[in-house]
Formats: sequence, structure tokens, C-alpha cells
Amino acid sequence: MAAPRAQPEADCSDDSSQDWSIVSTVPDKYGFFGQEHVQTNHPPVPREVVLSREKKWLRMLSNWDYFMQEKHSKLRKRCRKGIPHSLRPRAWQFLCGAQALQDKHKVLYQSLTEQPGDPKCLDDIKKDLHRQFPQHEMFCSENGVGQQELFLVLKAFSVLDPEVGYCQAQAPLAAFLLMHMPTEQAFWCLVSVCHKYLNGYYSHGMQQIQIDGDILFGLLKKVAPQVYRHLKRQKIEPVLYMTEWFLCAYTRTLPWSTVLRVWDMFLFEGVKVLFKVGLVLLKGSLQPRLKRCPTMYETLEAIRQPPPGLLEEEALVQHMLRLKLTEEDFQKEHSRQVAKRQKRLQH
Amino acid sequence: MSESYDYLFKFLVIGSAGTGKSCLLHQFIESKFKEDSSHTIGVEFGSKVVPVSGKQVKLQIWDTAGQERFKSVTRSYYRGAAGALLVYDVTRRDSFNALANWLADARSLASPNIVVLLVGNKSDLESQREVTFLEASRFAQENELMFLETSAKSGQNVVEAFSKCAKAIVTKIESGELDPDRIGSGIQYGNLKPTRNSASAATGRSCPCKV
Repeated sequence: MAAPRAQPEADCSDDSSQDWSIVSTVPDKYGFFGQEHVQTNHPPVPREVVLSREKKWLRMLSNWDYFMQEKHSKLRKRCRKGIPHSLRPRAWQFLCGAQALQDKHKVLYQSLTEQPGDPKCLDDIKKDLHRQFPQHEMFCSENGVGQQELFLVLKAFSVLDPEVGYCQAQAPLAAFLLMHMPTEQAFWCLVSVCHKYLNGYYSHGMQQIQIDGDILFGLLKKVAPQVYRHLKRQKIEPVLYMTEWFLCAYTRTLPWSTVLRVWDMFLFEGVKVLFKVGLVLLKGSLQPRLKRCPTMYETLEAIRQPPPGLLEEEALVQHMLRLKLTEEDFQKEHSRQVAKRQKRLQH
Repeated sequence: MSESYDYLFKFLVIGSAGTGKSCLLHQFIESKFKEDSSHTIGVEFGSKVVPVSGKQVKLQIWDTAGQERFKSVTRSYYRGAAGALLVYDVTRRDSFNALANWLADARSLASPNIVVLLVGNKSDLESQREVTFLEASRFAQENELMFLETSAKSGQNVVEAFSKCAKAIVTKIESGELDPDRIGSGIQYGNLKPTRNSASAATGRSCPCKV
């Protein structure tokens, strides 16, 4: 593979006129080469605040069960503010229950990696190893440590859950986790995300992602009726724009600092965070541009290129929190879509 | 939206995972090889206007995820495609063996009349070849497909593959074998004339109103 090059992305958005992107030739603080960065209007979190947050999180991590059971809303609030980067990996492992899984199955990961595995699965995995975040310092060299670890984690998963085996959308998730923690920890986080948070997304048939697409569309009607009608008129099915968003939990969609903030919330609040991000993206990308989207093609292009300001971490989180959706709205839409699908299958 | 064209064709790029579908599309549109690309999850798309038999044809190309299980998701954008590039990797026999399945899907989900061009990609990797040209052209013949070997890396035959498939569709329109007005034909008229009525009558003459 060629050495990573610093290369500006094609200028594709009419909203990118301001000086919001900078291209660098050294890896950024997240390990990426040549990335564009959203210039933020929000001042960075002051050092004292970071230190005080770290203290709070350390206290929570050493007293996890108590906070999880008794201080639910405090924990949620702190996840929404963003977990201090130094403690993120540990916090994520606690939040998603990976730590508990690992404690329970102490030697399992090792033994899974030592089993032969399904040859077809392993072959599929190998084809994708060099295609995960090739601009990241950990994954940019062929057969480098990152790619080897990625293989082990994905293989272990496919042995643990032969029914799912390996789905191509799991590779970005595993790679994303590996950027933050050692293989065994990353593996258990992957297991937790695939089995608990996004159960049914990666199996053969991929039913669940289609149901969630319909739910997203149903919620859009409530959040942005104009955008909903536009998509309906152009017969744009949800799977056309949300498949990658949901299957990869936005790891391939959003600027990196925003991905991290979304995951802080996702691992605490669950899949509804993915819905909220999707609704913000749809509304923010299309509402102001409906007139410029005469056909399906322009519409999908607009969804693919949200206004950069919208993607800035603090802005996106604020938009999400401002959505007027209750727990009941989610429940209702979910039951509605499941019933609809069953009815369709019967006919 | 500023570009002018006579027709718009909906195209698919299908085939097994890792055969280079996205790289073919990238090479076609950007005229360069995508060195560090990630695999497609769900669908990508791109478009380009190409000159075909004196007409300007806009190709709207849908590039699909290759893994088998994505088919239940991707089938919704097969609908109404006029043409398809069916891609295998000349260095991987399994991708060649899967062709019959992909072809059946294209014909049942898009349209039985879909114009398909078989593409043997990665022809630059001659030393690793597992599928011969002869074998593939026999498959193409038996299944009434056009056939080309390409290299998304060097660019060899990439534009030709898309153009050849588009040309076959234009020919079918002009001979009346394909009716662009039929619902789900995957063909739309563009902003250049001739429009509607003259399309089938335009056989043998170049567009009179070309700017």
C-alpha cells in the first residue's frame, strides 16, 4: 500500500466556502493522516474543567455499580458532556458491559483466536483487513500490527457467533475499538455492541437494519415533516442513506471528535442515539436545500454532504438534545413498523 | 445540474466483495486509481456524462456492497436499472463462480432486459490470474453478455466498459427494441433535444439541435 498522502478531499459542498478545513501531513491527535478538521466555534474545554471531569469519572469508575444503579441520570448527563479522552477506553468498557463479560469469561478470547475458524469467513475477513481506515497510522501498513489485531478480533467474533460469522460492516467497528484499547478489550466491546446494542444488524438477511430504517423514516415525519414528504415523493428508501450510518455507528460518517462524542452517548443510552443523529443529519442536510434537490440523485448527494457546521461535535450534540422525541415516540414507532412488516410478510 | 445530455441511464455495478467495483467507478469518474479505499457498505453512487454514438448520455451509477448478506438491503436499488457491469476478479476463481447468481439477481430484480457487460477486473495482475480470458468469454457468450477485461489500477478498458454498455442501450433505443417511456426502463430523457417523439425516429441521424 502506498504511504498515506496528504490530499485535500474534493470540494463538494456549496457550504464549504469558509475556512473550515485544514489538511495536515503529520497524523493528527487521533492518529489520522491528511484529515480535514472542522473548525469549531466553540472554545476548547478549559484545562481545569477537563481535570475536574477526569476526577469525577475516576470516582465513578471505581464505584461503578453504585453509579449505574443509583445515579443513572447523573451518568447520562456526564456522557452527554463528553467523557474525558484519557478515560474513554475504560469508561466505554464499563458502559457497554464489556468489562463484566471479560471478567466472566476469562480465557475465552484466547481460546477463540486459537480455533481454526470457518475458512470462508476468514477469507472474507482477510479481504477487508487493508480496507479499514487506511489513513490511520495503526492500519495504514499492510500486515502491520493493526491489521493483525483486526484479524484476530474479527476471527474470534466469527468463532463465538458462527451464525453471524463475519459481516463487512463489523470491520470498521472493530478497527475503531482497536484504536482505543487492546485486542481482548476491543473484542468484548465488539461482542457487546453487536449482541446487545445492534442485535440482528449483521446477521444474514439483515432484517433489523431495514426495520430500523423504517422507524427512522417514521420518526422523521414527526421531526421534519417537509423533509419526510420530500423523501417520500422521490421514493427514497431509508436503506439508501442509513445503512452505513447505523451498521457502522457513524464511525465512517462523522468527523472524529464528533464520532467519539456520539459513542459516549450511544454506549450509555443505546441505539436511540443513532436515530437521533440520523434525524439531525437528515433535517440539517435537507431542510435548507429542498429546492436544490429536484431528483433522488441530488437529494442523496445532499444527505451525503451535510453542512460542515452541523457536524461539529458540540453543535451536533445540541441539535440531538433539542429533538422533541420521547421514549414513547420511539416505542410507538417501533411497534408500528414491526407490525407493518409482519403484515407485509404475511401477504 | 448544469451539464446537458440526451439520455440518463441508471447503471449498476455488481459482483462479489473485493473485485474492485468501487475502484472501477472511481477510475471511471475521476480518471485515477483509488489507492487507499475502504469497502462499500450499502451503496455508493456517482455520475458522469459520456459521448455515445453522437449522443450525450449521463450515466447514474450505483455501486453496491459485494457481500452476499447485503443483497436483501441492496435489492431495493436494483429496480429500474438499464445497464449493469457484472464484475469478477480475474485472480479469484470464487468471484467468477458467483457470476451466475449475480446475473440471475440482476435480471429478476432490475429488469429481464437489463443490458449487462461482464467485467474481468485486475487484468494487471497477470501472474496471479485464475480465470482465463477464453473461459470468461465463453460464459459471456452463453449468457448473452458483452465482455471486457479491465484494470481499475492502470485504467485499461475502464471507460470502454461503461461506454460499451451505454452504447448497446442507445442502439436498442434507436432500433425500437427498448422503449424509454416504459415504466422502470431505467432511461430518462435529458435536457437536450430530440425528446420524446423523435427518439425512435432519430435512427441514423445525429442530434440536429446539439449546441
